[in-house]
Amino acid sequence: MKKILALVLAAMMVLSMASFAAADDGYAGNLKIWVAEATVEFTKAQVEAFKAAHPEYANMTVEVLPVGEGDAANNVITDVEAAADIFGFAQDQLARLVAANALMDVEPENAKVVAAENDAGSVAAVTLGETMYAYPMTCDNGYFLYYDKSVVSDPSTLEGIVADCEKAGKNVYFEINSGWYQTAFFFGAGCTLTYGTDNEGAIVSSECNYASENGVKALKAMINLAKSPAFKNGSSISAGSDIGAIVDGAWDSNYAQEAFGENFAAVKLPTVDGFQLGGFGGFKMLGVKPQTDEAKMAACDALAAYLTSGEVQLARFEAVGWGPSNLAAKSSEKVQSNVALAALADQLQYAVPQGQYPNDYWSLATGLGDDVIAGKYNDLDDAALLEVLQNFQNTAASYVTAK
Amino acid sequence: MNDLDYLKLTGFSKLGYKLKKFFTGIPGRLAGALKGLGLWFVKLFRGIGSALADLGSTFVHGDWKTKLSYLVMGFGSCARGQWGRGILFFLFQTVFNLYMVNFGVAYLGKLNTLGTIETYREGRKTVYGDNSFFILLYGVLTLFFVLAFLYTWYMNVKQNRVSEQILKSGKKLKSTKDDLKSLMDEQFHKTLLALPTLGVTVFTILPIFFMILVAFTNFDATHQPPSKLFTWVGWDNFRQLLSSDNASYGNTFSQVLLWTLIWAFFATFLNYFLGMLVAIMINKKGIKLKKMWRTILVMTIAIPQFVSLLYVSKMFAADGLINSFLMRLGWISTPLPFWTDPVWARVTVIVINVWIGIPYLMLIATGILMNIPADLYESARIDGANAFQMYKKITLPYMLFVTGPYLLTSFTGNINNFNVIFLLSGGKPLSLELSGNAGYTDLLITWLYKMTVSDTNYKLAAVMGILVFLVCAVINLIVYNMIPSVKNEEDFQ
Repeated sequence: MKKILALVLAAMMVLSMASFAAADDGYAGNLKIWVAEATVEFTKAQVEAFKAAHPEYANMTVEVLPVGEGDAANNVITDVEAAADIFGFAQDQLARLVAANALMDVEPENAKVVAAENDAGSVAAVTLGETMYAYPMTCDNGYFLYYDKSVVSDPSTLEGIVADCEKAGKNVYFEINSGWYQTAFFFGAGCTLTYGTDNEGAIVSSECNYASENGVKALKAMINLAKSPAFKNGSSISAGSDIGAIVDGAWDSNYAQEAFGENFAAVKLPTVDGFQLGGFGGFKMLGVKPQTDEAKMAACDALAAYLTSGEVQLARFEAVGWGPSNLAAKSSEKVQSNVALAALADQLQYAVPQGQYPNDYWSLATGLGDDVIAGKYNDLDDAALLEVLQNFQNTAASYVTAK
Repeated sequence: MNDLDYLKLTGFSKLGYKLKKFFTGIPGRLAGALKGLGLWFVKLFRGIGSALADLGSTFVHGDWKTKLSYLVMGFGSCARGQWGRGILFFLFQTVFNLYMVNFGVAYLGKLNTLGTIETYREGRKTVYGDNSFFILLYGVLTLFFVLAFLYTWYMNVKQNRVSEQILKSGKKLKSTKDDLKSLMDEQFHKTLLALPTLGVTVFTILPIFFMILVAFTNFDATHQPPSKLFTWVGWDNFRQLLSSDNASYGNTFSQVLLWTLIWAFFATFLNYFLGMLVAIMINKKGIKLKKMWRTILVMTIAIPQFVSLLYVSKMFAADGLINSFLMRLGWISTPLPFWTDPVWARVTVIVINVWIGIPYLMLIATGILMNIPADLYESARIDGANAFQMYKKITLPYMLFVTGPYLLTSFTGNINNFNVIFLLSGGKPLSLELSGNAGYTDLLITWLYKMTVSDTNYKLAAVMGILVFLVCAVINLIVYNMIPSVKNEEDFQ
């Protein structure tokens, strides 16, 4: 009996020593990842590849769960301790996450590599002040025009597109009540709206000139668009019907090809009233939440860096069509020949890399868009429109937190 | 005005008189309520005072067993042979002491600041400091526990006094066996209610108390535990929600509140009268296929609202079924703004709610209508009353009498009718004229939801929760005292 006990004890000692040894230069515990539903399977496969390449992490248990980019930021902020260790999100959430202390800064060595290998816009987007807070994953969070070649004859002006669609009884989708799509008009007409953040992610300054001649021009273009019976507010191909043209992003390119079939086409945004529509260029990124355990922190750093490396970005493009931010992956032939991404690249010349915006901005912009769609401004003259924009601008400026 | 004068008035003046009486009566009723509240407090303090006096006199006049019980709970009971009670008292004291030493004191001590140690970084590693959320939660829990302990301690002392008196009068004390027996007999209500009371305290009263306290803190997106601390801010949040200067939500709040009341009124009474009308029509003699009509209407209940409402919402969208159909027919050239125009959106949600609500009301009304004695109608018909007169004098009073309480609860339910609004319009459309992410069809409750879920603004949401409670409570108290089922209980018996 005693012998057996001794044996068991010895075995336990050996086992515990083994696990100590593993913890010394690796990590064998649990790790949770949140990514968009479309990339769950892909991420699982990449995690396995990571484990195979790094034997010190081979015993790590990684759980990959589908949580959309919008929800991820909300969920992490609501409960940091229960949130995933690594999570994907869109760049507009960065300042919010940093302000809530829900992101760990990128490991300095990794940060150097990220800065060297990714395009400048995406590196700027993951940096607040001097500190890099996340790993850029894609450079495709922009919008452009998908259209039906049999309906729209000339996609170079919005007026022409609307007229063609009206004639054919088709719909033009443009989500003008979203703070994201709306900037196509304002930024295109030459307005700016930017916020400055400090290292902690607090909004400390704002710059906005919507209340100007250019702003009125942009607002009028929106009003005119909204007046058309063909206009529909929306940006999801799968949810739309009778689509003639739609302003949407690269993530919907599969649906677009399905919806338009042979008539599928994608180009940069059109001009309206003589000016080229602009807008946001955006990025998706991977973040690591604050860690209390050094070993786990190292594992998260390594895994996040791996999941956003050039090869994995290229593989992700092949698997789910997300456009890479890594320079080498971006210049590969496969990415270059993709119609939707080519249109996006064309549009990004006119787009502004999206900075940080306070959460309140998005509902304010929705308010403006909803008012336009409701027809509240249909009969206003330029002076009255200027007053509306002045009001908008003042409210937008009020979101700066006094320090 | 006496009764005779009143009877001479025409219908409209009668209504006017009643309304005038109702509104002029409000101050009086309010004063009455305040007086009642004041009396309650006086009673409470008197009770506490007399309890303290009892404690003093028991200590002075009690024997040594009683005196020692002040320190060691249950000692007196044990010394007098009531082992069961004594051991329970003692156990409770031990658990309480252990809890306080290991847990409670630390949280209670931080309750006044809600934590002072900030989260910091050690290199890149994060070390979490105080968690204001847990401090508030466990602090409140500890407070409740302390109150429970004080009450039990008082009971323990009282027990000693009563035992002494019983022994002095020469009677015998109850043994543990007797106690257990009485719990199954004359004290059975305590046995039954022990578990529910504990459950209600822990799962209902404690969270409500916690949420009320959150309204007085700055718990929001920028003060989010565990990374950031939050602390007490007094009445600031109430000021932000109710005052109407620039950065406040006062204007938006009053608009949303007004719409909430309008919505609740229409959602309740439109459904009520239309449902009753449908029931009367189906009940009418000579209507064929009654069962089929009822089944068709009840179908809307059979489909879960989550499915039907989301579908209907899509149907009325600018690119939805209804607009495309009408446009294809050529009846309209631009889509009808069901969800984009404020007024249209408000009317649309009310109308769609009628579609959902009628079947329920029809079922309720059908049952009640069948109960109205047919001889009432017969004699009315002999007297030459027409259908409308019969409805006004027989059907409606009877319905109101039976369904008065139902109307009241459904009005309150509609103030908090989250599903219909959220699934149909999501509170949209928004506007530059409204702030804080509120839209024209937002009810207080859906606005509260947006505040918590998308803006993580818990402090204002807590304030809003309190205000919603106040609105519901005031309306309920006033209307409850007016409905016929409470005022004239003997009618229709």
